[in-house]
Amino acid sequence: MLATAKNSIRVVPQLDRCPRLAALVQTPAGKIAAALAFAVLLLLNGETRYLELGAFILAMSFFPRYRRLLLSGATLYWLILHPNWIRQGLIRKVAAVEGYADGWGLVLAAAMALCAVLCALGWLLRFVAMRRDHVIARRPVLVMVAAFLCLLVAAGILPLHGAARVALWILVAVTGPYLWFFAYALGDYASPSHDPYRLQVGTFFPFWMGSSVSPTPMGKGAAYLRKVEARTPKDLAVVQLKAIKLLLWILVLNLMLMVFRAVVYGAVSPAAADFCRVHGFHVFSLHVPTLGAALEQTAAGHSPRLAMAWAGVVAHFLDGVLSVPIAGNMVVACVRMAGFHILRNTYKPLYATTVAEFWNRFYYYFKELLVEFFFFPTYIRYFKHNRRLRLAVATLAAATLGNLVYHFCRDSDYVFYLGLWRAVAGFQVYAFYALVLGLAISISQWRGKHAPESLPFYRRVISSAGVIGFYCLLEIFDYEGRNHSLRTHLAFFGSLCPVAR
Amino acid sequence: MNERHAVRTFLLNLLQRTGDRDGFVDSDSLVMSGRLDSVDTLDLVMFLEEKYGVDFAQRGFDMNDLDSLDSIMAVIGGAIQASI
Repeated sequence: MLATAKNSIRVVPQLDRCPRLAALVQTPAGKIAAALAFAVLLLLNGETRYLELGAFILAMSFFPRYRRLLLSGATLYWLILHPNWIRQGLIRKVAAVEGYADGWGLVLAAAMALCAVLCALGWLLRFVAMRRDHVIARRPVLVMVAAFLCLLVAAGILPLHGAARVALWILVAVTGPYLWFFAYALGDYASPSHDPYRLQVGTFFPFWMGSSVSPTPMGKGAAYLRKVEARTPKDLAVVQLKAIKLLLWILVLNLMLMVFRAVVYGAVSPAAADFCRVHGFHVFSLHVPTLGAALEQTAAGHSPRLAMAWAGVVAHFLDGVLSVPIAGNMVVACVRMAGFHILRNTYKPLYATTVAEFWNRFYYYFKELLVEFFFFPTYIRYFKHNRRLRLAVATLAAATLGNLVYHFCRDSDYVFYLGLWRAVAGFQVYAFYALVLGLAISISQWRGKHAPESLPFYRRVISSAGVIGFYCLLEIFDYEGRNHSLRTHLAFFGSLCPVAR
Repeated sequence: MNERHAVRTFLLNLLQRTGDRDGFVDSDSLVMSGRLDSVDTLDLVMFLEEKYGVDFAQRGFDMNDLDSLDSIMAVIGGAIQASI
């Protein structure tokens, strides 16, 4: 009875479980209505490119046989018109320093560099497929990432000037965001049943990333997409209804985040502030400092009050619990709408009862990237006769080393702005974070996992609270910038203890 | 036939560990569908290494190969062929 009541109360209706709705979405009028609903929900959720996304989805709904080709076409369109993931600011800055004016010349140079990179990748993919026993074909991702890091180091330390320096940095700026998309393509080419290059192109920063500039491939690569592609009109209708349901849930989360930020931080958007002023509403706010502001205060030698410091830490965690699902699952909804039934990026993280489970639930596609390109390559090769050591080394290779490599490659701008050594040294806080995370996940995996119902309710609550507490505190060190030292973060961490103040 | 049964029982145990009591047919996707996560996959890797002598370092590791009972049986078949 209780279970029935619990199942019947839902914030978002189970659209995908309604057979009449699924039948409607298979008709031409239903396809148009679904694409329209999708575009409107994107707009409400703050996606500015809602019309173009809706148009591509509509084309894919009407021509599902050509879905993958349309994906490649839409992705090329996005690359030409909205390449916001390419570090254009960095390219302009390098060019300005070297005395080159901003303009079409730079655009052309970046386009040529990208063409060269795509040609080189095409050659590497072919090599991987043809020469399977060659050392490069056996570890293609390692070779590619090592080559990129060498390029970055060369850009950071070689005494180049003028066009050579601009060219090198353009190469870094256009390649960096694609690194992990290329990695999935290389993984696919290692199997005999891989997709041709013209279809792989559609998975390199696909159009469904929308305004997102995250270099984490949500929806992974072609191999995964082949597995989860809708095969029948009914499959497509159900997965599209799931996408709309997810967008409705994101809308709820967006509203919750807006209220949360207004009440906790006093952060109100200009439109909401105008609305409140016109209607005479007063927004109550706790004026909790953001974690960034609290760290700035600590760096300046003025630690925030104990209650405010704790409030800042808890608020930062809750902000992440609301904002990460919004950003990641927006992309997931677009992928689903295109007809690929991929898993959510974030799924009920607060239900996790272990540190490893929380990480799996919180940022699924980032975790999958690290598992695929760092964890398993280590796990299958080293310490095969010592189960615990094997697990720990592979986990550290992924959660610590892989995590650091991913972020260092992503934030390659710091090498230009600070120089190589300061960019590496300034990475100390995130290195500490990644090390603690790796160790905690290793320990969590040693302890194993239990079926949720096998734990008594109070044990579940205690386990979940422990996991949340751990991540709340760990977030203090989840700092990807280069302004604060580890000492500042440790000082702030220490200031949370009343005795240490 | 016994091998298929043993692997099926192992997979059912992995699923039950997370409270998943639904059955599956031999071609059902278990990893890509999210029913088994990466922690389960590494238990499966260890099971295949220890019980059937599969060497993933030698043959290459592809998550797709462990996605369904059918694909796992193909991996085991390959390992048995290689050892003859």
